[in-house]
Amino acid sequence: MSTLSRRSFLRHSALAGGGLLVAFTLPGCSTPPSLPVPRESGDFVPNAFLKFTADGAVHFYCPRDEMGQGVTTGLTTIVAEGLDMAPQRITVELAGAHPDYANPGMGFQVTGGSTSVKEHFTQLMTVGCQLRALFLAAAAQDLGVAESALTTDDGMIVHGENRYPYAQFLATAATLTVPETVDLKAAADYRWIGTAFPRLDGEVKATGKAVYGIDIDVPGMEHAVVVRPPVFGAKVVRFDDRAAKSVAGVRTVVEIATGVAVVAEHFWQAKKGAEALTVEWSASPLDGATTASLRADYAEALAAGGEEAESTGDVATALAGATKTVDLEFWAPFLAHAPMEPMSAVVHVKGDSAELWAGTQGPGPAGALVARHAGLEPAQVMVHQTYLGGGFGRRGTLTHVVEATQISKATGTPIKLLWTREDDLRGGLYRPASLMRIRAGLDDDGRIAAWDAARAGSNITPETIRNSLPALLPGMPDGVVDFMVGLTDRLHQGWVVDHSSIEGLYEDYAVPNLAVHHVTKEHGIPVTFWRSVGHSYTAFAKEVTMDALAEAAGQDPVAFRLAHLEHNPRLAAVVAKAQEAWNGWTPAPGRHLGFAAHHSFATSVAQVAEVSVEDGAIRVHRVFCAVDCGLAINPDIVRAQMEGAIMYGLTAALHGKLDFEGGAVKQSNFHDYPILRINEAPKVEVVIMESQEAPTGVGEPGLPPIAPAVANALYRATGKRLTELPLSDALRLA
Amino acid sequence: MLRFTLNGQTVETDLAPDTPLLWAVRDQFKLKGSKFGCGAGLCGACTMHVDGMAQKTCVLPLAAVAGKAVTTIEGLDPQGVGAALQAAWVAESVSQCGYCQSGQIMAAAALLEANPNPTEAELETAMAGNICRCGCYPRIKNAIQSAAATLAGGALFKDAMAEEVSA
Repeated sequence: MSTLSRRSFLRHSALAGGGLLVAFTLPGCSTPPSLPVPRESGDFVPNAFLKFTADGAVHFYCPRDEMGQGVTTGLTTIVAEGLDMAPQRITVELAGAHPDYANPGMGFQVTGGSTSVKEHFTQLMTVGCQLRALFLAAAAQDLGVAESALTTDDGMIVHGENRYPYAQFLATAATLTVPETVDLKAAADYRWIGTAFPRLDGEVKATGKAVYGIDIDVPGMEHAVVVRPPVFGAKVVRFDDRAAKSVAGVRTVVEIATGVAVVAEHFWQAKKGAEALTVEWSASPLDGATTASLRADYAEALAAGGEEAESTGDVATALAGATKTVDLEFWAPFLAHAPMEPMSAVVHVKGDSAELWAGTQGPGPAGALVARHAGLEPAQVMVHQTYLGGGFGRRGTLTHVVEATQISKATGTPIKLLWTREDDLRGGLYRPASLMRIRAGLDDDGRIAAWDAARAGSNITPETIRNSLPALLPGMPDGVVDFMVGLTDRLHQGWVVDHSSIEGLYEDYAVPNLAVHHVTKEHGIPVTFWRSVGHSYTAFAKEVTMDALAEAAGQDPVAFRLAHLEHNPRLAAVVAKAQEAWNGWTPAPGRHLGFAAHHSFATSVAQVAEVSVEDGAIRVHRVFCAVDCGLAINPDIVRAQMEGAIMYGLTAALHGKLDFEGGAVKQSNFHDYPILRINEAPKVEVVIMESQEAPTGVGEPGLPPIAPAVANALYRATGKRLTELPLSDALRLA
Repeated sequence: MLRFTLNGQTVETDLAPDTPLLWAVRDQFKLKGSKFGCGAGLCGACTMHVDGMAQKTCVLPLAAVAGKAVTTIEGLDPQGVGAALQAAWVAESVSQCGYCQSGQIMAAAALLEANPNPTEAELETAMAGNICRCGCYPRIKNAIQSAAATLAGGALFKDAMAEEVSA
C-alpha cells in the first residue's frame, strides 16, 4: 500500500465510521489489580502506558522487555508519534507486572517471537493519538477557543502564534473522557517513524548506569549459588555441607527442587562454598548419553518415520519420476543461548508478600511463579523489571526465578541468585539438536517437482509450556498444572506436530508435491526457544538443498530461487534486491560468495556472504543483507538487528555446539564454547525495502539465512557440500 | 586489611585476598557498572583499568591490586578519551543489550590512551578479548574510529541525543 492510499484508507475509514474503531479497551486506573505506576498528586495517568506530570515530564511504561532489540526505543517512538512529541522527550520506564501490559498477540505479558512492534503498533499509535486528542479538547476548553483552531507540534498545543505545553492542560484533561475512537495519524505525517536516530537507552548503557538483574542490591540481601546435577534428571540423594559452611561468609545451605543452594554474604563466598559442597546424585535415564548416542537415536527415529505435518500432491510418485534428485541429511547440534548476563534474580519472600527484581522476557509470568512457589496470590507479588543482559529466548523460561524464590522462602532474607557461566552452559535450556533429511526432485524443465522433508529431535514448545504453565495459570493448583503439562506432552508426541520444531523446512518455495514429517525424540534434555527457533536449523537444510538443486538443474542459484517465488512477492523482492548485490559483486581473490534467503516471523530476508578458507579456518569477510519488515519504525535499529542476528548466527554457524559425554554437557565456558569475536566479525551492509505495509519483527529473521549462505559459499570455495553444523567442524571432517 | 585506590578514592577491604577485584568492587563497594560474564577472563565484561592498563578483573585477585589505582566505568574520565568514546557509543547506537559495553568502553579507552590512532588490525587485537553476544562489533569499530577522529580534531564532547532533538 502506498503512503497515499494508506492515508486515504485511514481517512475513508474515519469518515465512514466516525473514527477508527479501537479494537481493545484501555482500562482506567481503578481496574484491579492497581497499575504498577507510582504517582503523586497532580500526575495524570490515563492508562497503563503513560504518566504526565505537572513539570512537563512524560513517562512511557514500556510493556515489552528490553533485551537489546531496541524495543524501548521502538515502542516509545510509536506512542510519541501518536502524541506528536519527540521520543527523546519521553522518559522510558520498564513496566512492572499487570494484565494491561500483555502482549496483544499472546494474551500474556511475554516478549518474544519478534512480535513487539508488530503486535503493539496499532495499540500504541492509538494510545498516543487518543491522548493528543484529549489534550486538544482540554486546551480548547481552557483557552475558550474552538478545537478546530488548534493543532499540535512536538508536545505543544499551537494556537496561531501561541504555543502551550501539553502539561498546562493536565488538570482539565484528567476530567475529560479519553475518546474511544480516534483518527490515527497518517503515515505521510510521520515525523519520527521511519527516521534513524540514536537509541534512547544509548547513554545509560555507555556509562554503566543501566540496571540489570545482577545489579540489584537491597538491604539485608544475601547471595546464593546453586549446585545442580551434572546430568539432567538426577536428584539430590544426600549432601555434606560441613566444608561449605566453613568458608568465610557462608551463612546457610538449603536444598531446593533443582539442587543445593549455598547462601553467603557475598557472591564469591557463595561460589567458594558451592565448590566445597559434596553432593551425591541419583541415577538419571540420561546417564552415559553421548552426542553420538543421541544422534543415533534421532537417526533411528528419522528412519522409522513420524507424524505427517504437511502433505500436498504425491511426493513419492514425483520423486520416482524426477529427472534429477538431491538427497541430503543435515545435523544441527544443541546450542546454549549464552547471553552475556548469566541468569540472575533477586527475590524477597516476606510473610504476606514478595518482591522480585529481574530482567525477564515475562514479568507477568515471573510474578505468578514467585507467587506459586512462595504460597501467595499473584497480586501479593511486586515485580520490578530491569534491563536484560541479553535474552535470545533464554529469559522466557524462569527456573532461576523459582530457585531464588525457594531459597528466599527458606531463609526469609532477600536472595540474589546468580548462575555462573558454567551453570549457564551446563544447566540448560538449549536450542534442540536436529537431524533433518530432505529429498527433492527436479522435473524436465529444471523446476522442483518434489520436496520430502523430515526432522527428528525433541519438541521445542512442550518443554517451554511445561515451564510456563505454572506461571500462565496462576490460579490453578499444582496437580492440575501437572496434568495439563502431561497432556500437552502427549498431544505433541502423539498426534500434533509442534510447528516450532519444523517451521521453515518447506514453506518458502513453490513445490507441487510436498511431504513434511516430524519425529519427536525426547531424552529429558531441557530445550526452549532460541533466537529464530526452528528456523535456526531448518533454513540451513532448506537453503543448502536449494543450492544443490540449482546446481543439479544447471542454473544460477539466485535465479533458481526466483523461479520458485512467483507466489511469494515479498520474499521474491528481497531475493531480487540481493541478486543485484550478487551480480555486481566480484569477490577478492580466494574468496567466494554464497546466497541464502528465508522468511520467518513475518519478515523476509536474503543474504550474500563473501567467504574464504585460510589455513583451514573459515573467514566471513562481508555480508549483504536485504530485509522486508514492512514499515521500519527506526531503520537504524532494523540495521542493528540484522547485524546482530548475523553475528549471533555466525557464532552458531562457525563454532556453536554443545556435546554430551557421560550424560553431561562437555562444554563449560567461552574457551570451549567460543563466541564470535571482533576480529572474526564481517562487514555488514543492510538494505531495508521501502514499505508502508504493517511493521513486522526484526529480532530473529536476520539469523536463519547466514549459516546456509556461508555453507553455500564454502561449497564454491572447497567443492564440499557441508551439511553439518558447526561448519568449522564439518569442514575439518569433510 | 588491603588498600587500593578506586576511582581516585583510597579504599580498604578485609575480604579474602584471593577474592577477584570484580566482586569486591560490585559487592563491597557497590559499583555495578562492571559486569560478570564468565569468571575466567574470557569475555571482558569485567574490564577495569589497573594503573592505566585494561585488566580482566573477574580473575584478578585483590592481592594483586594492593596499592594500585583502579578505575571503573564510573570513574572514566568525563573530559577526554572516555567522554569521546561514550559520545561516539551513543551516536553510533553501539549498545544493544548493553551488558558488555562498560567492559568494551574500558578496553577501548585503554587502547586509545596508548595508541590514539589505531589501525583496524590494532583495534581488533586490542578488542578481541571482549565478547559482545548481541554482535555490536561493526559499530564498536566505527565508534572507536569516530572517537579517535574526534580526539585528533580536538572536538568537544557532543551529546548526540540532544543534537537529535534540536535537529
